[in-house]
Amino acid sequence: MIQPQTHLNVADNSGARELMCIRIIGASNRRYAYIGDVIVAVIKEAVPNTPLERSEVIRAVIVRTCTELKRKNGMIIRYDDNAAVVIDQEGNPKGTRIFGAIARELRQLNFTKIVSLAPEVL
Amino acid sequence: MKILMICTMAYSTNMVKWSLVEKAKSPPSAEVDDDAESLSFAVEMARVANDVKAADIRVLFVKPLVYWTRFFIIATAFSRPQIDAIGSKIRDLAEKKYGKVPSGDSKPNSWTLLDFGDVVVHIFLPPQRDFYNLEEFYANATPIELPFENQPPFRS
Repeated sequence: MIQPQTHLNVADNSGARELMCIRIIGASNRRYAYIGDVIVAVIKEAVPNTPLERSEVIRAVIVRTCTELKRKNGMIIRYDDNAAVVIDQEGNPKGTRIFGAIARELRQLNFTKIVSLAPEVL
Repeated sequence: MKILMICTMAYSTNMVKWSLVEKAKSPPSAEVDDDAESLSFAVEMARVANDVKAADIRVLFVKPLVYWTRFFIIATAFSRPQIDAIGSKIRDLAEKKYGKVPSGDSKPNSWTLLDFGDVVVHIFLPPQRDFYNLEEFYANATPIELPFENQPPFRS
């Protein structure tokens, strides 16, 4: 359940370290975002000497949430952190590698690029 | 980064169950047949890409590394119109001959991805190919020999 003002970790090597959600993309008055949703976020903390800087506004895909992800077969996946991957307007990831495990639902939502860069797919 | 233990446990037990079901349902030869079918499809797609002058085409057998697909095709194109041409040719042939419709990018993109389920096609512009460096990430995958690779080009 990601909403505006939620802080998220960054799960890639784009150079951002921490994001804050400022808008959820998809509907005009949507309250919460879950795994696979695109958000507009602002960079709260960045690694020095990287292309991305603090207070830059970017788009990101949510890849891990503390809220459970429920599957049809009864499986429930819950992560320890909220994490997102920075993307550009075309949907290409800004980083070249993803860290940590991600869910296979991202592939159905047309984020196969992120899935193909990830080390582990649950 | 830890994932809740219960969910991983549930995941693994489910996997065991699935694999048991799979084993009961289909003999091991069925899986080999599936692989062969995907391989012929992948090689055909690579041949189409070669016809439209895509450069540096690589077909990788990634099934031992990732569970979600069998083959990767990685190719370089030199402009967006060329990416469009390669993408639409592959789409047409896959639909006409094999009846498969890809998901993924519909517009030409600097990294265009076509997802056929068992085969995933990546078409890059040269800078993006160096940037993402997928071959290095999947360095342990077995490269597949392509039949048209050793043919001399027309001009020489």
